[in-house]
Amino acid sequence: MNARVNAIAIAGFAAVLIATMVFAGNQHNIRRMQAAFLGMVTPVLRSGSGIERKVTAYREGLKTLAELEKEVNQLRIANKELKATNQTLRGLEAENNRLRTALGYHERSVFQLMPAQIIGRDASTWYKTIVIDRGAEELVSPDMPVITEDGLVGKTTIVSAHSSVVVLISDESCKVAVTVEGSRDQGIVRGERAQTGSAPEITLNFLSKQARLTPGQKVFTSGVGGVFPAGVLVGEVREFKVRELDAYATIAPSVPLTTLQDVFVVVSETK
Amino acid sequence: MIFFLILIILMVLSFVAQQFIGPLPPFGARVFLMQIIMLYGAAALPTPGMLSLAFAGGLMWDLRHAQIVDGQVEIGIGWSVVLYTVLCSVMGGLRPLFQRGRWEIHCVLTGLCVAAIQLSEYLMLSVRRQPVVFSFSREIWWRIGGAGVAAAFLAPFFFFGLNYIAYMLGYDPHPERSRGQ
Repeated sequence: MNARVNAIAIAGFAAVLIATMVFAGNQHNIRRMQAAFLGMVTPVLRSGSGIERKVTAYREGLKTLAELEKEVNQLRIANKELKATNQTLRGLEAENNRLRTALGYHERSVFQLMPAQIIGRDASTWYKTIVIDRGAEELVSPDMPVITEDGLVGKTTIVSAHSSVVVLISDESCKVAVTVEGSRDQGIVRGERAQTGSAPEITLNFLSKQARLTPGQKVFTSGVGGVFPAGVLVGEVREFKVRELDAYATIAPSVPLTTLQDVFVVVSETK
Repeated sequence: MIFFLILIILMVLSFVAQQFIGPLPPFGARVFLMQIIMLYGAAALPTPGMLSLAFAGGLMWDLRHAQIVDGQVEIGIGWSVVLYTVLCSVMGGLRPLFQRGRWEIHCVLTGLCVAAIQLSEYLMLSVRRQPVVFSFSREIWWRIGGAGVAAAFLAPFFFFGLNYIAYMLGYDPHPERSRGQ
């Protein structure tokens, strides 16, 4: 009797598995299945993320009055500096657009940003992704750049109604075309499957053998490829090496990818 | 049946919970809770239950992690189900021992299975990603082995807790030991 039940179970299991694999044979169905699953676990992820934030806020909230006062003062100064910088940049942007128009170029578009909170992180060993609390209902779609005030974070992949998976720039499968500050050198940045140390590192590959990068040089997106807009800070050069056929550099990401809490999705490049 | 459903719910919850557990220093090995519960279920439940848990675990994993890169699916949905089924079958093969109340070997085996999952995933990715490079640095071995060690360390606590839940729900995971008493 037991053997018969087991045989039926194995046959049923094999049939369901084959049917699943066949159904998930094309990208469209995979994306639909992944979006549906993400939508199902999103409420649980939101609850978990809420608890995590409360615990973090409680731990960080245990500060003395003097510490808080000092922090407020620092934030006030930073706010004034940012306002001043913003004003200057607005003036430069207007001037830049006027000059571009005069030269016959299209006016450079401005990003439209969608703020999002991180509600989940990847638990796997080899992938580096996060889950954010914005999805298709908030106009997010696959392959949208995700940034913070410090620089590039990654791009969206799976999008459900109210949440999305973002593949980080430290993931091996996320490739970004970049340029190096103060030079004409261009290359492709990608993550590493396993890194030494806990801080993520990314590598800048396909550099010319003639390239001469120095530690501290900033690396920006070049806009080539169409996913990432040009001019977003990616990180800075930590180490540079020349190989037999090309050169490569190790880059320290400008964004603290492991401790991120809030990000912005570039939902449009026009306001 | 109720215990089986409880295990499925616990797998879903632990799948979400493990996303809030950071990598273990110094080399970033991860803690896999869902896989521990699944492997417990493989030892505690008969074959149909074991297969269902392997299917649920593998499908959840693939739906969260399958990546489409340059228009190509890296590791198709269903491959983790195959992998988990093989490992759950190994656990299920030692079920007679588990039924006698001896689950020490299963705890060690849980660690080995979790490490095997990491190694298999790494090999699959190495084959799929271009250029094909099988790099086995110290960091990679630590990530594979570290995940296994963490799972083997946590397994006794999970096994004890899940046995307790099983008895509370009227399911006896060690029927031969009970008969002996």
